[in-house]
Amino acid sequence: MNDLAKRARGITSLRDFLALLEDAGQAITWSERVMPEPDVRNIAVAASRDANGAPAILFDNIAGYPGKRTVVGVHGSWDNIALLLGRPKGTTIRELFFEIAGRWGDAEAQICYVPEGQAPVHECRVETEINLYNILPVYRINEYDGGFFLGKAAVASRDPEDPDNFGKQNVGIYRLQLQGPDSFTLMTIPSHDMGRQIMAAERTGLPLKIAVMLGNHPGLAVFAATPIGYEESEYSYASAMMGAPIRLTKSGNGIDILADSEIVIEAEMQLGERVLEGPFGEFPGSYSGVRKAPIFKVTAVSHRQNPIFENIYIGRGWTEHDTLIGLHTSAPIYAQLRQNFPEVTAVNALYQHGLTGIISVKNRMAGFAKTVALRALSTPHGIMYLKNLIMVDADVDPFDLNQVMWALSTRTRADDIIVLPNMPAVPIDPSAVVPGKGHRLIIDATSYLRPDPIGEAHLVTPPTGADIDALSKQIRAMQGGAAT
Amino acid sequence: MSETICPRCSSSGAATDYQGMEDGTVIWTIHRCVVCCFSWRDSEPPSSIGSGVRSADFAVDAANLDRYPKILQQ
Repeated sequence: MNDLAKRARGITSLRDFLALLEDAGQAITWSERVMPEPDVRNIAVAASRDANGAPAILFDNIAGYPGKRTVVGVHGSWDNIALLLGRPKGTTIRELFFEIAGRWGDAEAQICYVPEGQAPVHECRVETEINLYNILPVYRINEYDGGFFLGKAAVASRDPEDPDNFGKQNVGIYRLQLQGPDSFTLMTIPSHDMGRQIMAAERTGLPLKIAVMLGNHPGLAVFAATPIGYEESEYSYASAMMGAPIRLTKSGNGIDILADSEIVIEAEMQLGERVLEGPFGEFPGSYSGVRKAPIFKVTAVSHRQNPIFENIYIGRGWTEHDTLIGLHTSAPIYAQLRQNFPEVTAVNALYQHGLTGIISVKNRMAGFAKTVALRALSTPHGIMYLKNLIMVDADVDPFDLNQVMWALSTRTRADDIIVLPNMPAVPIDPSAVVPGKGHRLIIDATSYLRPDPIGEAHLVTPPTGADIDALSKQIRAMQGGAAT
Repeated sequence: MSETICPRCSSSGAATDYQGMEDGTVIWTIHRCVVCCFSWRDSEPPSSIGSGVRSADFAVDAANLDRYPKILQQ
């Protein structure tokens, strides 16, 4: 294992990762005085224009928030994701995809428990006169958001009907809107684990307690958003994928939380209550509507000394949201497809959380790619998100859009598409005729096989493979050297 | 009831949730509308909090709150 990989596996906290990023030139501190609005948003958007190389930006001089710190863009570039995975800057997206896909099922989870009294997250404790604004230097993420949102909060909860089951404990990223000093709303949908738990609590009258973790181990931020099965623990999954132990402790309300998070907010849902939430500039690049969402009352807050509030810019892409979850949206679909179809060679679902996906497959017979596409629609993520699917042959790299366009140009017939009307759909897709319901599109851009009489008799085969990839990197490195 | 008017639904009576202070001076104040749940900071640009400047597309009709759907209905 090289030094980069060793250091990545030694990360236990946001602070560790920020130090690693800073050493690699991938984190900067913004100490010039800024206003919460619009400065933090403007700087975050400017940074996210560089999807390959944007740094994390730590603000430590925000007007009206003396002594408080906020960070954006921690997962805001492929270089930052590469460093998290122990790979050097400049690693290609395709290489990162196979790094993650190769880790799938490769390692055992390592969970260790830290006594509450020794957990850094509990260094400071607030149980009375709670005012979240006094702890979190929040700002309006997009100008027409309905309030101040926490866009990168990992929410941990236990199944209200099976509270002792570690696997059914859910950790997910949900948007939270502050609703006064000690309350917030949480937005989810019935198909998400949190939505299931909220509905179960309200159906049975059982309490639903949650712990909201902010400023977390950067591996959890990535993997908590990964669509895995309901009974799989996100903590175990994150540990296995990072190949390193995850340090947990208990929150004051009895939920397993990361021991090294910056801030943890403990709260309880107000059964049956709803208040207005939104709009919020969401990942499709448009605002959600205003809806009535469940409200949670804060019961306590724990935080490290001098905590760092981590947030995200999300809106019209590219944004940190795309680099944060893109590969980890793609990898599970790949792994799940390969259980049935080992012919699948790669999945690119980077675009708007998989609203468009590109799948490469070794075609076994005419039309086979369409069969694989239909299977993709029944994966956990595919059920709601995979709206447009482009199927390409294994000789096309789905991460290289020039190659994908070549396949569309030369291998697609207008009647080689399937439209599946009135399917389930993620409600915030702005193109949906009815929120929550929409059409699916499958474009078969694979070449023709028998019994189809038409095909590419004389295909040019330019040199490909590891040698050519290495030459490409060498050319880029030589260019970079000339620029400096 | 406060006189503070909500920039989104024009209701009065907004709550004051927090004041950003530096050396004893108030830098800005965060308000919350108790009718439409809009929260804002009084230092924000007019495009977000200016009555008549904000896009009408994002106004909330305080007289018709029933039109907003409730999520996670059983």
